[in-house]
Amino acid sequence: MNQWQRLDAKVMLVGPVGAFKQFLLPALIALIGVGTQQPKWLLLAAPLIIVASIVIGVVPWFTTRFQVTDTQLVVTTGLVSKQRLTAPLDRIRSVDLEATLLHRVLQLEKVQVGTGVDDTMIELNALSVSQAADLRRLLLSRRGTSAPDEAPAATGTQSSVGEASEPSGATAPVAEGTPVPAADLVTFSPTWARFAPFSLGRLAIALGGLGALFQFSSEIRIDLSDNDVWNRVASASLALVLLGVFAIALVLWTALSMVTYLIGWWQLRLFREDGNLRLTRGLFTTQSTTVEEARIRGVRLRETALLRTVDGAEIHALVTGLEDATYAVLPQAPRAVTHAVAVAILGDEEPVRVALVPHGPAALRRALLRNVVTAEVLLLPAVALPLWLEWGWWVPLAAAVALALFGLVLGRMEYRHLGHALTTDHLVAGSGITARTRTALQRTGIIGWVFSQNPFQRRRALATLTATTAAGAEQVVIRDVPLALAVALADRATPGMLAEFTA
Amino acid sequence: MPQTTDAPRAALLREPANQVSPGQLKLWRTTEAIEALVVALALGAIWIFVPRQWWLGPLLVVLLLLNIGLALWIPRLKFRIHRWEVTPGAVYTQTGWLATKQRIAPLSRVQTVDTRRGPLMRMFGLAAVTITTASSAGAIEIIGLDQDVATRVVAELTEITAADEGDAT
Repeated sequence: MNQWQRLDAKVMLVGPVGAFKQFLLPALIALIGVGTQQPKWLLLAAPLIIVASIVIGVVPWFTTRFQVTDTQLVVTTGLVSKQRLTAPLDRIRSVDLEATLLHRVLQLEKVQVGTGVDDTMIELNALSVSQAADLRRLLLSRRGTSAPDEAPAATGTQSSVGEASEPSGATAPVAEGTPVPAADLVTFSPTWARFAPFSLGRLAIALGGLGALFQFSSEIRIDLSDNDVWNRVASASLALVLLGVFAIALVLWTALSMVTYLIGWWQLRLFREDGNLRLTRGLFTTQSTTVEEARIRGVRLRETALLRTVDGAEIHALVTGLEDATYAVLPQAPRAVTHAVAVAILGDEEPVRVALVPHGPAALRRALLRNVVTAEVLLLPAVALPLWLEWGWWVPLAAAVALALFGLVLGRMEYRHLGHALTTDHLVAGSGITARTRTALQRTGIIGWVFSQNPFQRRRALATLTATTAAGAEQVVIRDVPLALAVALADRATPGMLAEFTA
Repeated sequence: MPQTTDAPRAALLREPANQVSPGQLKLWRTTEAIEALVVALALGAIWIFVPRQWWLGPLLVVLLLLNIGLALWIPRLKFRIHRWEVTPGAVYTQTGWLATKQRIAPLSRVQTVDTRRGPLMRMFGLAAVTITTASSAGAIEIIGLDQDVATRVVAELTEITAADEGDAT
């Protein structure tokens, strides 16, 4: 693998399609503008675009070359302005594979190499499946041979051994030819698609699209009010019409979300491989992502209020040096499955099972008060002001009382989710108002502490304890801990870090 | 003191050893005075341009007094709270005025040490030292150091952190 290599020749079929797709939208916009007046432009432009996309699509095969040396991955691209990308092998954090349907028909795979230093991924689009697999294995195993960050001194001697066309197995902790038998951490079941409709994040996107659609349609049918039939239907049973629309939207959303879920996560496999956590998935476009297990600092288990009603949960791994702060290990899945995967990743079931220490009555009072105030401040003006003018003074008063009750319910919920625990290896934090979130962070992954107190907390001797870390959201926040407990917790979690400063 | 009367009195954090430089107090006084002046001018503008109501005068006077009071009180409060300490093992700072923050970062996890000297800070002979770790939430800034102290702190820190290897994540 030491000599220069090219992309797979079949990329000359994929490239033009990709280039054509990129041309399509601007070309269409331009053509609609120009072409309606001058139809002959259409005839001239079409072949031009096709030829251009073929040329542009073919170029990468001629210009892209890559090479894996003893110390780095080198990729050169560019026709006019040459570009040379290098990534030191011991800095390579991830090697991801992706294949669209077209890639798969042609037995090709796109390789993306991430160094974790910045957001630029080195992309090779595309190699043959076997070539991509070889490159992936080579890059990841080389990374393994060059020493991990705990022992950087050993780097020079070790990586110079594996010079041959194949890295010699002697240097690697795991011999190249005999990869550790990959045991799946999870077995995907298509029935998990039942959780898809309960994911609000995507619902918000869908609703946004729907809203835009309604706006569009309402603009078209302005004269609807004159329509006799519509008038009769609307006046007869407006509620029924609304109900019908709602029901249709619900069915559409359910079907759509489940289909996209299945397309994205079909044949999900999550397994360990040479000290990596590898995830492969996809019905049409297949994806394979790899995360080094030594970089996983913990997991975050999250059950939104909706998911909780159907016993579903989400799990993310907290990883250092990854472009995304967190790494979605699974889609929405049964809670028991996410817990099992969390246990497998953490290598310990205590952080998942352990009961959280509640923060006491002072924290409860703060949670209640904070949620009531938030509810009143955010919602009261919106609810009350318009109604006040129409109906009278008692409306805002009733709204205020209702909002206060709503705030109390939220506060109660937040307090139930609040808590912390310390296990042999992990700091566990419970948080969330409507969602129940449990974050387990390796104690060795904690690289600092912040104790913050606002005046209200100081009055009640509470503090918000923040453990800073390089992984995930880069901090784990434990809210409203009694101050003495916070100090004791931090001191026990990272023995010695606070010792000089306690009194 | 808060009502935490646990039988074996639990250990709390003590304050960091060093107070910020008196120069920082002067700087805060200056910035607060400038802010107070701007607010006073705004109040004056309101008095001139807004049609007179019976309550406007007293309201503006109250706001003006409050403004002056805050400008006098905040620098002293900040000066009392801001403290810092660098030990061979860790950096420890306390900042804030209404809400306070105590930050601790072990030096073994420090990645970079930077100094900052803004134009106002230079006027008062001050410098700030920023210590970053691999967590964006974990950066610590020690403000209000005399320039020679800052130089000494940076030298100390770079010496200690240079001895550590690894990427400190």
